[in-house]
Amino acid sequence: MSEYAIEMLNITKEFPGIRANDNITLRLRKGEILALLGENGAGKSTLMSILFGLYQADSGKILVNGKEVHIKDPNDANKYGIGMDHQHFKLVEVFTVLENIILGCETTKFGFLQLKEAREKVVALSKKYGLYVDPDALVEDITVGMQQRTEILRMLYKNNDILIFDEPTAVLTPQEIDELMKIMKELAKDGKSILFISHKLNEIMKVADRCTILRKGKYIDTVDIKDVDPEKLSELMVGRKINLVSNKKPAEPKETVLEVKDLVVKDKIHGINAVNHASLKVRAGEIVCIAGIDGNGQHEFINAVTGLMPIESGHVILNGEDISHKSIRYKNTHGMSHIPEDRHKHGLVLDYSLEQNMVLQRYFEDEFQTVGFIKDNDVRGYANRLIEQYDVRSGQGPITISRTMSGGNQQKAIIARELDRKHNLLIAVQPTRGLDVGAIEYIHNQIIKSRDSGAGVLLVSFELEEVMNLSDRILVMHNGEIVGEFDPKKTDIQELGLYMAGAKRQNMGETKESAV
Amino acid sequence: MNTKNKNMKSIAALDSIIASLVCILGGLLVGTVVLLLLSIVYPSIPASEAIRGIQIVLAGPLSSGNVRSILFNLGDMLLETTPLMMTGLSVAIAFKTGLFNIGAPGQYLMGAMSSLLIALSFPKPNNAGSALLIWLLAFLSGAVLGALWGAIPGLLKAVFNINEVIVCIMTNWIAANIVSWVFYSTGDRFINTAEVKTQFIRKTFTNNIETAKFGLDKVFPGSNIDISIFITIIIAIIIYIILEKTTFGYELKACGYNRNASKYAGMSEKRNIVYSMAIAGALAGIGSSLWFLNGQNEFLWNTYLSLPSEGFNGIPCALLASNNPIGVIFTSIFLRWIERGGFNLSGFTDYNEYVSALIIAVIIYFSGFSKYIKDKLSKSRTEKIIKEGNE
Ligand SMILES: Nc1ncnc2c1ncn2[C@@H]1O[C@H](COP(=O)(O)OP(=O)(O)OP(=O)(O)O)[C@@H](O)[C@H]1O
Ligand SMILES: [Mg+2]
Repeated sequence: MSEYAIEMLNITKEFPGIRANDNITLRLRKGEILALLGENGAGKSTLMSILFGLYQADSGKILVNGKEVHIKDPNDANKYGIGMDHQHFKLVEVFTVLENIILGCETTKFGFLQLKEAREKVVALSKKYGLYVDPDALVEDITVGMQQRTEILRMLYKNNDILIFDEPTAVLTPQEIDELMKIMKELAKDGKSILFISHKLNEIMKVADRCTILRKGKYIDTVDIKDVDPEKLSELMVGRKINLVSNKKPAEPKETVLEVKDLVVKDKIHGINAVNHASLKVRAGEIVCIAGIDGNGQHEFINAVTGLMPIESGHVILNGEDISHKSIRYKNTHGMSHIPEDRHKHGLVLDYSLEQNMVLQRYFEDEFQTVGFIKDNDVRGYANRLIEQYDVRSGQGPITISRTMSGGNQQKAIIARELDRKHNLLIAVQPTRGLDVGAIEYIHNQIIKSRDSGAGVLLVSFELEEVMNLSDRILVMHNGEIVGEFDPKKTDIQELGLYMAGAKRQNMGETKESAV
Repeated sequence: MNTKNKNMKSIAALDSIIASLVCILGGLLVGTVVLLLLSIVYPSIPASEAIRGIQIVLAGPLSSGNVRSILFNLGDMLLETTPLMMTGLSVAIAFKTGLFNIGAPGQYLMGAMSSLLIALSFPKPNNAGSALLIWLLAFLSGAVLGALWGAIPGLLKAVFNINEVIVCIMTNWIAANIVSWVFYSTGDRFINTAEVKTQFIRKTFTNNIETAKFGLDKVFPGSNIDISIFITIIIAIIIYIILEKTTFGYELKACGYNRNASKYAGMSEKRNIVYSMAIAGALAGIGSSLWFLNGQNEFLWNTYLSLPSEGFNGIPCALLASNNPIGVIFTSIFLRWIERGGFNLSGFTDYNEYVSALIIAVIIYFSGFSKYIKDKLSKSRTEKIIKEGNE
């Protein structure tokens, strides 16, 4: 028997205009956790997709337990015990969580689905690993965090023993990440072999045994985690030193740009108040962050403010004007920029080219059209400028179909578009989700720059480090209410955690009053 | 960089065309096999007939015998292409917005009814000017009524999120019954009672309303061809420009690809759904207007019995063209071409014309593979580029 569960030897894969994998060799030992590290677009997802049978390598071999195999499709992969948790979830929107988990290995009796047994197994798994899901919710209605948990449960449900995690933690809360790390370690102890992709070096340090590093499609090195530190890893990855602790000037808040008064938003499924009389203010020149555990109303709060969800009651005031019931177009053109939580659902038209996506909210402006005709050259020029300025990497530049871009580069494209639009309020939900450290550094600096040039920034992030690093003021949201306000310099992660979990709350005078 | 990008784009277009051609070739091959099988089953047909048969089908109107009948067949084929091209466009533009317009038959009927009513209601015009005016009015009314009929499923989809396919099927039959009822209740006013053909509406030439011919009838002597084929080609080009070059087309397609993202971007996705269906309806309506305003085509008013096939045939026409409006020009002509070949097949051999229907059906099945073929093509091309680059 071979010492390796998986060996991928000299894998090469080309896409139009780019060599995504260039002679990469990767070996996964049995029962180990191997991290895969690389910048956005380095070719990690491509390599994993080849292993999972979604793509065919142009050349190279794959060995499972020492035997060469040909993995033609995910069914083959499943046959060899390979399961994958995708970076961009592959869930059926109109199915329930339970149905999605059992999809492809349904137990039937006389041709009828045996949902009861499946449900028991799923509930047991989700209890065991603390992966909370609502089995009966439709996937289109749940948050990305819960979609992620659904994907993980699906792998566990299928009893796969080679598990690929493509950026599973990008959308999880710190607590959930800790949980997942524990689960992964336990799974490895059970003899499962795990491939783990993450841009977060501390996670890799915490769980991985070894780490393989890719750069621009090429194999760089494989290191033992006990021999390296995060600095060394990031240096191997980008080829230079990274400074993630932003050295920003203190905020100089000016006039209020966004005021939310007593906002109530109904939950789409259960009809309860997902946002319950929440109020806040964002002033020009400051970064206000809503911290909280996923599913406490942040999602609905942002969607109501931006216009993606209807408001039950309350007011949203932008630059002194009540925009509660204005159209999204109106908000877009009156100073609001929005980096959405779900880049595939809202952020991009995936079948449009990169340049078409760059003008998604601006195609009708005189800069890009005359008498209804799009000025192709101006769109191209504009897109090229953004691509260069924000270092958006893709196979064919402006005409690349957005669907084929790597996750991190899709995110960079959205960020470029939203930051470049004229705005004095920037709403950013998980803006650095899925970005490599180099890109995060850059995006953080861009957000700070936007603040310093006079915009108010409303940030939603589940990553407490990002929250602490970036914000000038922190609001904690719990159960649809704002339960505390903090100065990042005078608080710490532990204190925030207590508020986020609902163990403590401040007396938010303003909120209470208006609630009556 | 720019020229390289342009090349990439035209290469992609080339790939689609090649893919469509491969589908067609596949269909023809299977058709040949069927002809061969038939010749085995029926001893009266020698195997050599199969090859001749497929040649006849392929040659379409050109296989009609002498020059005279070839020209006559060509002319009629082009005339028949008109409504098909329009319903093909109708289906294609709705597809681009993510909607399945299976309501083209109903829209087609409503267009036919309104243009016939207008063309035949006015007193016989006695000069070319007023005839043209009535023609225009009838033509436009066909577009308008088609648009209204298309807008209904669009509205229901936009406002109540009711599946457009279901509503389209219902509006098809509602249209069929309305049309029958209107002509039934107007009695002899519009019905052709002259030649004991009481199930037909009078041809519009009886009221001096005919689409201009600009001498085309001299080029294709004996056929009823008029300039409508050029009108439809121009419309197809306009639709292409709208979709590819305008902000309106940009919105429609964004809406079709990703409704959530277009909402996020501030587009009114509901309005776009209604517009798209209305345009689709207008196109189908124009198709029937042009067909009946030709002057020589008869309208069977008992429409509640069956829906017009032109409406449904728009679907394969659009599919084969990958919903590209320019592609629809060619696929609609091609489908009619093969159909003519099928008629000739039954005329000149012992096969019957259903064989051509079968070949068309097979081609349509193959068109399901066109994306697959296209992907294969682009893959092998990149491999080649890479090899050359390495050398
Ligand atoms: N289907 C495809 N067609 C064309 N190009 C593709 C396709 N999939 C990926 N690519 C390109 O291959 C490169 C590697 O992409 P990949 O998704 O593997 O990156 P990644 O390392 O996972 O990055 P990230 O951290 O941003 O997710 C990118 O430049 C991407 O644009
Ligand atoms: Mg990736």
